[in-house]
Amino acid sequence: DSICQAYEDEIQSLKEEIQLLTEKYEDSQQESTFFSEEAILKSIESFEREFQGESKGHEPPPDLKAELESLETDLSFLMKFVGIQFTSHSKKIIEKTKNRTVQKHRISGTCHSMSFQLEFQLLEMQNKENVCSAVTDLSIVMDSGEDSNVGKFLSSIEERGDILTFFKSLSSYAEWYEHRRCAFQHFK
Amino acid sequence: GMFAHLEMLEKQAHEAAMKEEAAEQQEKKLSRLKSRVQELRLQRDQLREKVEQQEQPGKEGAASGPAHPSARAVLEWKIKSLKSMLQLFYLTGISGKLTKQGVCFCISTAYEGTYLDFYYLDLLTKPAVRIHRHSIPTFIPLEQISKRFLQTDIRRFLAVLSDHLNAYVGRRHQAEQLQEHFSDQIVGTMQRNSLCNLLLFNYKVLIDKQPFQLSARLLYGDLCSSLPTQVTISSTQDSPTSLAETAAAHSDLLRRVALHKAFPSLLSTQ
Repeated sequence: DSICQAYEDEIQSLKEEIQLLTEKYEDSQQESTFFSEEAILKSIESFEREFQGESKGHEPPPDLKAELESLETDLSFLMKFVGIQFTSHSKKIIEKTKNRTVQKHRISGTCHSMSFQLEFQLLEMQNKENVCSAVTDLSIVMDSGEDSNVGKFLSSIEERGDILTFFKSLSSYAEWYEHRRCAFQHFK
Repeated sequence: GMFAHLEMLEKQAHEAAMKEEAAEQQEKKLSRLKSRVQELRLQRDQLREKVEQQEQPGKEGAASGPAHPSARAVLEWKIKSLKSMLQLFYLTGISGKLTKQGVCFCISTAYEGTYLDFYYLDLLTKPAVRIHRHSIPTFIPLEQISKRFLQTDIRRFLAVLSDHLNAYVGRRHQAEQLQEHFSDQIVGTMQRNSLCNLLLFNYKVLIDKQPFQLSARLLYGDLCSSLPTQVTISSTQDSPTSLAETAAAHSDLLRRVALHKAFPSLLSTQ
C-alpha cells in the first residue's frame, strides 16, 4: 500500500513537471515565431473560408477573428489612453517552478516623441494569498537629449527597480517636453 | 453443533475468497499505476528533450515549428502576442479592457520594485461617466475623488486614485516588512488602522549599552505619501537626557526614510 502511495506521488509530481515543461516549450515557441501583418490577414481569410461550409453538426469554430479584433481594440485604446505605445516585447523564461517564475523581458516603446527601452527580470511568486512580482536587474535606455536630470532620475529608478514610477513620470515628462519643443518651434 | 460448524466453514471460505479478490484488485491497481508512471515518465522525457533543443541557439530554425502553419495556428499566435502586450500595461499602473457599456480599468500598485495589489474599477460611459462596480477598499476616499474629477478628467481621476492606492499599499508594505524582519526588536504588537496611516509600536534600543524601550507613533497626514508627516517618539520609563536626543534623531530619520529601511539605523545608535 505504501508502494501505491509512492506511485501516486510520482504520478502527481510527473504531471506537474509535464505541465511546466509544456508551458515552457509553448512560450519558447511563441517567442521564436513571427508572422507579418500580411500573413495574419491571409490567415483570417483562410480561416473564415475553412469554416464557412462546414457547420453541419460540428460545433461552431472559435471566433478567432472576433477575439483578435477585440484585443486589438483594447490595445489601441490603452495605448491612446495611457499615452504609451509599446513597439516590441520579447521575453524568455529563465526559471519556472510551481510557485516561482523568473522571466527576462525586453520592451521598447515610445511616449509622445520619446523612445525608451527597458530590460529587466521579473520574479513572480505565488504565496498563500496572492501573487506578487519583483523587478530586478533593471536597465533603461532613453534618448533624453541634453537633460542631465533625466540621467540621474533613470539611475535612481534602476536602483530601485521602480518601473511603475518610471512610466508615471514618463508620460508627464514627455508631455511637458513636447509642449516645450512646440513652444520653441513657435518662437523660431 | 453441525449447523454452527457448517456456518463457520462457509464463513471461512467467504473470507478467503474476499481476501483473494482484494489481493487481485491490489495487484491490478499496482500494475495500472506502474504503467501510468512509465507513460508519464516517457512523456516528460520527450518534453525535456524538446525544451533542450529549443535552448540550443544553432538549431533555432529547425525548432520553430511546422513549416506551413495552419491559419488557425497563425491567428492563435497573434492572439497570444496581443494578450502578452496588453499585459505589459500592468507595469504602467493602468490597464484595462473595453466593455459593452464602458471600460473596466485595472489599477496596479507597486512599492519600489515590487508589484503588489490590483484594484478594479468598472466604469459606465453613457449617458455620463459613472462607477458601476469596483474593488477599491472603503477607507480610500473614492467618492470624494470621483466627485472632483470623474466627470471632467478621467485620466486625472485615475491618477489621483492610483496615488492614493499606491501610497496605501506602500505604507502597508513597510509595516509588514518591519514586522517580518524586525519582530525581535518590536515589543508587543504593532497597531495600525486599515488605511495604514497611523502606526503605533514599541521598540527596544541600546543607548550607551543600556537597554531602553521607546514608543513610536507615526502619522501619515498626506494620504498620497508613504512617508509620515508626524513622528512622535517617547519613552515609557525614567530616562536620561541622552534619550531625548536619540528620540529626536529617530523622529527625524523616520520622517525622511521609509520605516523598514530606517529601522536598522534606529537600533544601532550608540
